[in-house]
Amino acid sequence: MKEYRVCIIGGGIIGTSIAFHLAKLGERRVAVFERSYISSGATGRCGGGIRQQWSARMNVRLAMRSVKLFERFEKDAGFDIEYRQGGYLLMAFTEEEAERFERNVKMQREEGLDVEILSPKMVKERYPFINTENLILATFCQTDGHANPHLANFGYAFAARRLGVDIYTHAEVKDIIVQNGSVMGIESSIGSFKCDVVVNAAGAWSKEVGKMAGIDIPTTSYRHQIFVTESLRDFFPFMAISFDGNFYIRQTKHGQMIMGQGDPNEKPGVNRNVTYEFLKSMSEKMTKIFPFLENVRILRQWAGCYNMSPDAQPIVGCSKKVNGFCYAAGFSGHGFMLAPAVGEALAELIIKGSTEHVDISFLDIDRFEKGEVEIEGNVV
Amino acid sequence: MDRRIKSHPILEFEGEETVTFYFEGTPLRAKPSDTIASALIANGIDIFGWTEKGRARGFFCAIGKCSSCLVVVNGTPNIRACITKVKEGMKVERQIGRGMPLWEEKQ
Repeated sequence: MKEYRVCIIGGGIIGTSIAFHLAKLGERRVAVFERSYISSGATGRCGGGIRQQWSARMNVRLAMRSVKLFERFEKDAGFDIEYRQGGYLLMAFTEEEAERFERNVKMQREEGLDVEILSPKMVKERYPFINTENLILATFCQTDGHANPHLANFGYAFAARRLGVDIYTHAEVKDIIVQNGSVMGIESSIGSFKCDVVVNAAGAWSKEVGKMAGIDIPTTSYRHQIFVTESLRDFFPFMAISFDGNFYIRQTKHGQMIMGQGDPNEKPGVNRNVTYEFLKSMSEKMTKIFPFLENVRILRQWAGCYNMSPDAQPIVGCSKKVNGFCYAAGFSGHGFMLAPAVGEALAELIIKGSTEHVDISFLDIDRFEKGEVEIEGNVV
Repeated sequence: MDRRIKSHPILEFEGEETVTFYFEGTPLRAKPSDTIASALIANGIDIFGWTEKGRARGFFCAIGKCSSCLVVVNGTPNIRACITKVKEGMKVERQIGRGMPLWEEKQ
């Protein structure tokens, strides 16, 4: 039976980032088990935004560390991921949201983040292609941006493999072997493996994987849909998002416009079918705010799952109940952008027993038992 | 230069060239039933645009699928010449590479 130190369940950006950072710290007895193919889950279906403008202070710190790591991704992993710090424009259409943004910016600036507050007039001057009607204010951070999620996922996977990590695709983990309160190994569709540590990075299926080790990961998956248009010339460098307006939009390097929204009526569960209703409501809303889209054709649409946690913040750490069971799940729609910092932190936690670059203790599963929950408001 | 088929064993082509449209500023004649593509080809024009690398693009699939015939119509890019009917006074330009979208201030 093959032996590893760490078996990671899930070959998305989270799993491969953890694998890469473990290998970088010198631990090469690491394997990633992916049920389908690399980036087949939420990573390959996400919008690809990378944002530091959060409402919870710890999220700002975590995101700022992530941006530092994205900035050197190409150097670290040897892979161009179409990373672009074109900024992120947060748009508030209600007074309550505008007040919230002003409070958030104050906190973000305390954390050393360079964020501007823009009036509708300033937004119009800078970006004449936005219809600023009903806009109360916007905030902008230039060091935010976006990247190609597929490339980032493959970048981590290839870099981890070069460092000696085994990456098994089309390999489904069926069970986690726990004896006397400690992880002993896993059973998978390609055989049994011994290991000391199992990491649950299963995204939409994190709850099911948690059950295999007898740990309840309080996450629920919800479908989110996106569509993409034909290519346009490069003119939209930033990502625009609104929480009360319920949308996000960005332009890919190739020139396509990618946009999506949340649906409050979505039923829980892993459902990746697409609907006409989404196309209709999304295109109606977006052509009002971005009138140039009226003459732009939609190429295709798809769906992926947010793995929501009760407070819309990730659940990251190592279990105190089952020795050797760690988790990085419940990213609530912002796993891609946090993956570098979370991968680094969890790798440090596994190898060294504590984190060095950014504190992630606030993301431990304990918070739900203790009731120390701060709901992150800046999510679509 | 007239490249229209005058006689065909099965099909009949009706209508006169009563429509005037503009291609890169030059007035051209077209039948009311013409698509932009058929009108351009009838007028001896085969190059509808250029890629970003400078390669010529024109009529290819003829059913609106391949995006080879994209032109700029009245300032709007990415218009498929093969499935868009020509209209009186229409201003058609060659598209170079990806299209630049329109917004109010530019119109």
